[in-house]
Amino acid sequence: MRAYQDFREFLAVLEQQKQLLRITDPVKLEPDMAAASAAATRLGNRSPALLFNNVAGYQNAQIVTNVHGSWANHALVLGMDPDSGIRDQFLEFVRRYRMYPGQLERVTSAPWQEVMIDKDINLFEILPLFRWNQGDGGFFIDKPCVISRDPDDWNNDDVENVGCYRLQVKDKNHLGIQTVPQHDIALQLAHAEARGEDLPVAIALGNEPIILLMAATPMLYTQLEYKMAAVMQGQPYRVVQNAKGLDIPYGSEYVLEGRILSRKRQPEGPFGEFPGYYSGCHQYPVIEIDRVLHRKDPIYESVYVGRPWTELDYLQALTTSAPIFDQVNSTFPEVLAVNALYTHGLVLIVQTKVRYGGFAKAVGLRVLSTPHGLGYAKVIIVVNEDVDPFDLNQVMWAISVRVNPAGDILMLPNLAENLLDPACQPSGIVTKMIIDATTPIPPDRRGDYGEILGTPVGTDTWLQKLEALTKELQR
Amino acid sequence: MSATTQVTAVPVCPRCRSTTTEVRGVSPVAGVWTVYGCDTCFYTWRSTEPEENTNPDKYPAVFRLEPQNLPKLEIAPTIPPLPAKKT
Repeated sequence: MRAYQDFREFLAVLEQQKQLLRITDPVKLEPDMAAASAAATRLGNRSPALLFNNVAGYQNAQIVTNVHGSWANHALVLGMDPDSGIRDQFLEFVRRYRMYPGQLERVTSAPWQEVMIDKDINLFEILPLFRWNQGDGGFFIDKPCVISRDPDDWNNDDVENVGCYRLQVKDKNHLGIQTVPQHDIALQLAHAEARGEDLPVAIALGNEPIILLMAATPMLYTQLEYKMAAVMQGQPYRVVQNAKGLDIPYGSEYVLEGRILSRKRQPEGPFGEFPGYYSGCHQYPVIEIDRVLHRKDPIYESVYVGRPWTELDYLQALTTSAPIFDQVNSTFPEVLAVNALYTHGLVLIVQTKVRYGGFAKAVGLRVLSTPHGLGYAKVIIVVNEDVDPFDLNQVMWAISVRVNPAGDILMLPNLAENLLDPACQPSGIVTKMIIDATTPIPPDRRGDYGEILGTPVGTDTWLQKLEALTKELQR
Repeated sequence: MSATTQVTAVPVCPRCRSTTTEVRGVSPVAGVWTVYGCDTCFYTWRSTEPEENTNPDKYPAVFRLEPQNLPKLEIAPTIPPLPAKKT
């Protein structure tokens, strides 16, 4: 566990850990940024962040991608050993998550106040923007922390929201924002629009890495991302409050201040999105930017969103798994772990003890009623305690031998779903499925399960020994 | 300034073929690229991108938009009703 003061400190740690690759060769914004970042996602578990500093058309632009793009980098974000496995990171993430709330620390100034622009704002000149996927409708800011408050509960810090939402740069000082109905900011915007008021927002870019993870976490509406970041880093979370009362991370590179224009919608998209398909074009809200602040020689950060597995999937992996686990486990303490690593939890695997026949199906139904499950969880696989939900070989074994489709598949038609899921029919509505891959137990008397195979005596001891020897061998 | 960045005539939008386009920005190092944008469908493109992104005749059919269809796009989130004014 450790706290990083700002984005630059984390980049320095990545570099020291040999997890930051400086690209000094000349690159073009299109297609090099997308091609190099997509390639980085194929480098495996030690994929480094990329820092480009020789960008065509700029004297000194700096662009960073793939910051969270490997389990090694993800572990470093959490202040853990870069060799930590997924399950260890999950358990540690959950342990800290349950220490909520931490503290907010308000200070009066931050390095991002060094340069201020409040006239003739042109985002195309201020930011090194580029197209990620060829069919994208424009240039997207896709790794922001968007900060907003609830107009109906303005002074309540706990319902202030820090979310990561895609932003299309529409013209010199206007952005499109994707606020699907399941997002917290959509609720706040609805409150503002019912009043006929704009919703003030602050957009922080190039952030120290824990707050971006928190912005990607579907925590409860009444939980503040900064207070969760504080328990994740083991120190109070430092922010600067702006004139509108919005709290902004101390460690950001750029801050854009503006308003979501009340009751206005404009064409936005398409954008190559997390399911691995383009999102289509919708009428989404519009943000007007009034002021931009940034550090001297700012570093711009963006994330490649393409066909999984990409950096985005690391961003949404444990941040999605842990809250669902916490919420389901508080109802069903028999639930041991949740793996929502796949496509933002459109498919997820739940490991549970089974109290009696039919219990696993109830666990699956509970997942569907979590805040994230309402808009994402589509296929839920429930496995026994002897199956590691993070080991797909074991999960597939459970599906192979413990599922009889005649009684183990629940189909639930016409449920709410994120409108980016291309399987929806119509958009935002889908049939969901629970696969009960646990062994039937009384009073559910199906199948013919005899004695299950055990593991040879001494396997665990040998596993530890071989892991140490292998680590030494590969050093 | 190179031929690709001369701003003698702002081009038609490659995606919706509207003429409501403007220069959004030029490269800080002069003459490397120009960014254009459309005020009808809000498509944005850079002069140095492939023709599939810059030329209306080469733009992929699957991504094209008709200006008259833009108001029919799905609205998300929906806009809530305003409370009735007190009389």
